[in-house]
Amino acid sequence: MKQIKTFTMAGAALAASTAAHAWELDLGNNQKIDFHGFASQGFIASTDYNYLGKSTDGSFQFTEAGINASYSPFNRTRITVQGFAFDTGKIGNMEPFLDYASIEYTFNDYVGIRAGRVRKPGGIYNHIQDLDLARTAILLPQGVYDARWRDFSTSIDGGVLFGTIPLGKAGSLSYELFAGLVTLSDDGGVARWIVDGSNNKFDGFGQPVSVGGQLWWNTPIEGLRAGAYTGYMDDFTFKLITPVSPVGPFGPINAYAAADAHVLLQQYSLEYTWKKWTFQAEYFTYEYSGNNTVNVLSGSTPIQPTSISPSKTQPDAWYAGAAYRFNDWFEVGSYYTEHYADVHQRSGSPNASQKDLALSFRFDPKPWWIFKLEGHYIRGTSLLEDTANNPQRDGRGWFLFAAKTTFSF
Amino acid sequence: MKLGKFTALMAGALLVLPCLPSLALDGVVVVNDGVTATLDANALKDIYTGKTMYWPGGQAITIVVAGDKADAALEAASGMNASAFKTHWQRLAFSGRGQQPKRADDVAAALAAVAASKGAIAIVPAGTEPAGVKKLDVN
Repeated sequence: MKQIKTFTMAGAALAASTAAHAWELDLGNNQKIDFHGFASQGFIASTDYNYLGKSTDGSFQFTEAGINASYSPFNRTRITVQGFAFDTGKIGNMEPFLDYASIEYTFNDYVGIRAGRVRKPGGIYNHIQDLDLARTAILLPQGVYDARWRDFSTSIDGGVLFGTIPLGKAGSLSYELFAGLVTLSDDGGVARWIVDGSNNKFDGFGQPVSVGGQLWWNTPIEGLRAGAYTGYMDDFTFKLITPVSPVGPFGPINAYAAADAHVLLQQYSLEYTWKKWTFQAEYFTYEYSGNNTVNVLSGSTPIQPTSISPSKTQPDAWYAGAAYRFNDWFEVGSYYTEHYADVHQRSGSPNASQKDLALSFRFDPKPWWIFKLEGHYIRGTSLLEDTANNPQRDGRGWFLFAAKTTFSF
Repeated sequence: MKLGKFTALMAGALLVLPCLPSLALDGVVVVNDGVTATLDANALKDIYTGKTMYWPGGQAITIVVAGDKADAALEAASGMNASAFKTHWQRLAFSGRGQQPKRADDVAAALAAVAASKGAIAIVPAGTEPAGVKKLDVN
């Protein structure tokens, strides 16, 4: 059923893309609604480990599709809506959802406001991490942009204040400040990561508040920009149930854990486009800090005192890469990235880090059609997850191959 | 890599990068008849990079790209080659932050699109007769 959905969406995008550059609905009196869309289908195969799906067998569960509409009903006002569906291994399952739906008012170049469900900024790619056609690589550096964590990282229900401040000979400063609520999926990547490798049952997220901002200094050097992002997520709460014993004095014994934490995120970026070259480097880290409260109950009767323990973790990741556009239809890119599960323990086990060297080839046979081929040599397994399908791990290197095609209009 | 090393790498890159001169605009800027604005090169660049999305009166700006017939002028105006320009706008449009430029098949189609769309702007090859649209001098 999922594959039917995928191919139907891809077919619709193909038909639309070959028919026109974009769909436009003319409302009369010079009022038009613009429609754009895309559909991507990928394939992942890997040696040794299953990553982002059942990849050792070859996985086609690597799909994205979106359609959006944009309309300017009044001066300085724009309404945009995007529906989106994706599939990354066990995450997404091509269930369509509202990616963003916002109304925007731009007072002037210096300040505007966007409200509704909006995309969060975050480095070079967070806005567009699932938009295959806007980059050379198939897989973004996963320690920075984890394809499974998009419910955590992409949209909020709230608002964004944005604008560009000229700095004279020093260039300009673009900013986006945001605040809103994050809706996390109980079947999403973060939930699966939390319970991965345990017999815990996930029992729901709260709805954390997320605030933060992205600054971009557009330097006086043509094509060079430097960015800094920080985000803070408060009331990051979730619950777990761990079966302890089916038999107890007052009924089955279960441990009920409740986590209450905050998350501080930082990202620093540098991007330089020069002639046919694009150079990029980014560093990303987040600090998760909070308390876990555990109650052990037999039936509904506590049988142990409540325990409260602190929980803290800080992963980080960085990458540096370059891409060269040879002509209208061919581009080559490469990046090297490292991810560490804990900045205080960068070695000692295969799961401590993951280092990835990627080489990508992008072909644009038509303005509305691209396809890509990509190879990765990876050491370490800190981003692997999916313990059930990766029971044994070691520090040896492994390979991953990816292919992807995208139609857009 | 520690944050300090990463910062040093970035700072080093900033120091060694060359300062590049701007390209001259080898094309003609045309706008819809209803547009009354004047532009200099910086304002034109702000439009083509999406920093400015509305004319001073508040009308939304619609960029029309004339196929590949004015790529050099487009690069001079935006600071991006045609491929980077396309990617830049796809990033804005598919994240809800902008409206993608309309792509016309040729110069005549671009002029027709500018004539038919309020607030539209295009760069066409130098020497093009701006039939049905208004030529805008870039100071």
